[in-house]
Amino acid sequence: MRMAVKGIGVTGGFGCGVAALSAALENGISPMEGITVPSAQGPLQLPAFRAPTERLEEFVPKRSLRRIDHYSRMGLLGAYLAIQDAGLLGSDLSRLGVVIASGYGATATTFSFLDSIIGDGDICASPTHFANSVHNSAAANISIMLGAKGPSLTVSQFDMSVPSALMSARQWLAEGRVEAVLFGAIDELSDLIGYLWHRQRGPQRDRPISPLNADEESSVIGEGAAFLLLTREDESGGYCAIDSVETGSLYQGRLALPEDALLVLGADGRKELGARYRDTIQANSRVACYASLYGSMPAAAAFDLACAALVLQNGSAYRIPGAAGCAMDGTAAALETDRIFAVRLAEANEYAKTTLSRL
Amino acid sequence: MTHPWPVAITGLGCICAAGTNLDDCMEALYSGRRAPAPSSRFTSDHPIKNPVFEVTGFCEPPELLRTSALGLQAAREAIADAGLDEETLRSLRVGVCVGTTVGSAMNNEQFCRDYRAGLDPDLAPIERILRSNPAAVIARAFELTGPCQTVVNACASGTDAVGLAASWIRGGICDIVIAGGADELGRITYNGFISLMITDDSPCKPFDKNRKGLNLGEGAGMLVLESEEVRARRGKEARSFLLGYGSACDAHHLTAPKPDGEGLRYAIAEALSCSATPTESIAFVNAHGTGTPDNDRVESRVLADLLPGVPFLSTKGYTGHTLGAAGAIEAVFTVACLERGRVPGNAGFSTPDPELGGTPVEGCLEISGTVALSESLAFGGNNSVIILGKRGAV
Repeated sequence: MRMAVKGIGVTGGFGCGVAALSAALENGISPMEGITVPSAQGPLQLPAFRAPTERLEEFVPKRSLRRIDHYSRMGLLGAYLAIQDAGLLGSDLSRLGVVIASGYGATATTFSFLDSIIGDGDICASPTHFANSVHNSAAANISIMLGAKGPSLTVSQFDMSVPSALMSARQWLAEGRVEAVLFGAIDELSDLIGYLWHRQRGPQRDRPISPLNADEESSVIGEGAAFLLLTREDESGGYCAIDSVETGSLYQGRLALPEDALLVLGADGRKELGARYRDTIQANSRVACYASLYGSMPAAAAFDLACAALVLQNGSAYRIPGAAGCAMDGTAAALETDRIFAVRLAEANEYAKTTLSRL
Repeated sequence: MTHPWPVAITGLGCICAAGTNLDDCMEALYSGRRAPAPSSRFTSDHPIKNPVFEVTGFCEPPELLRTSALGLQAAREAIADAGLDEETLRSLRVGVCVGTTVGSAMNNEQFCRDYRAGLDPDLAPIERILRSNPAAVIARAFELTGPCQTVVNACASGTDAVGLAASWIRGGICDIVIAGGADELGRITYNGFISLMITDDSPCKPFDKNRKGLNLGEGAGMLVLESEEVRARRGKEARSFLLGYGSACDAHHLTAPKPDGEGLRYAIAEALSCSATPTESIAFVNAHGTGTPDNDRVESRVLADLLPGVPFLSTKGYTGHTLGAAGAIEAVFTVACLERGRVPGNAGFSTPDPELGGTPVEGCLEISGTVALSESLAFGGNNSVIILGKRGAV
């Protein structure tokens, strides 16, 4: 069964909405913002891609957002934009399925809950923060706001969250459980996530990511939400089709990838993963990767899918920001294939490949 | 729905406060034995120490979260029960689908405490979280090549993981899926649930008039789901079959069930429909039955409407509420009860509540039916239902 991508909703370092993502792809650049996180050495300045949520007020009255945290706001904005892009705003969404992928969940609220305990004692634990720290809080808020009463699923598989969740979304459609799935990925940049990134990755440099350079660390942390409105393929068109989703682990052998398709890689400047991509992807492959526009985060895999959908719709690939001069120079030429493989590798031997094609 | 065929369950594993393997758990349930007590593993500032259901005699290795270690232990039991060796597992496309609530949360309290105090804390606790994704831990331990999924649908996670795993088998994605749920007890969830004022400071009393709330528990339940092709090739008899799965969202409130149980009604209807099971075939319901006033009221009323007269019980009186593990543990118990033709009494129940839709099973009850239903309700408004049939039901 092929799925059709009927709508895209995105917010990330490039801005908000399909037009902003398309513009970033055309221009090959997104603005980086600095964030300041506390550390033992004093405030740390980190480059980062932040996601705006102001446009959410176009869809939801401000007063309804009072108790909704940044994580859920990103998710809600991505959801509404995808619904709007699919032309379904105002439609009956009561049987819509909702599938959310997140590597880390609502981290700022999780830390706020811990703060309430650490700062004021167990007796002062915040019920509001606890309720909103649950991993499926964004899915719940989206379902409540949209009136979506179909099945709801949240998956947290770190870097593999998106392809893993997409596989289940596809099954729901294949089995006829739902007619449409609102599929989205959300990750949030909180102080502690930023601090951990710094501790694990060393000092961050304010320069573009070199996603295909396996010789040095160039990752920049990001946050955002990327949503796709998915249905079974029908006559009414859409951005593209998603033909298949495969995830798993390789303990021996190589990942089989076609030579005639464009590969959209999840490479994002993390040195150790850059080496895995270099070892996995054949040198003559035609590759693209767009993490430089939204940064490193587990949810980036959904942004990769959104970019692949735009590439297929537009019929041409975009140059890879930061790719020049690297060992696997993948400056994407004009697209000569009607298929894209979105490839994601994670630590150890995990892999995912999602096949997208023109409708 | 286009998937009317059942999926075989060939192995079961369970660890919780009732026992460290399935046989011990069932013995405890049938004898009515339970031992909730204040935690021996953590302390709290609260003046009243709420009882919890801890797994005793189990120690996790230092490199893993307790949640993942519990999941791995139950998986080992289920795999052994299925008669699968590691070589066979490596020769097949085997996936892992595990529900949890805390198993992938970046919330190490000591790390945050030190960070907040202006220190540069040791990264070891964070690295432990990052290598303890419950599904990935099981996949790594057995070098499994199939898909991994950690479901974080709050307290419905375990039920959803089992239902989704069956879909992977039916869809030809996997030959075998190890599916279930795992969760550990800890200060964060303990304080969180107390803050919501839905805990009981005495042993929990699901469906009782005087119920005050839940007791937390910990543990894991795992099931081996297997394709008919592989099962036939192995000559392995199924212990039972997953006949149906349904899930729906209330879209109502972050932590409270919808008073009319709309989502649960949808989920039950979907599970019954896709399994083609008539309601009169249901021998019993293993209910969510947390012991909170809201949950038990909504759940019992829905059951009274949709499955009138069908015996129901909650096993949380023996295990506590094991959150993301609960649905999986209860699925395992449901299969074991079908096999034994007997359900245990609903521990903690003594006084009927006229506000509820009925009263649960009070003592051990002989059953003759071959099909049962297990259900979970969760934060976020998630409602999930699976229908299980014993070997002769298919």
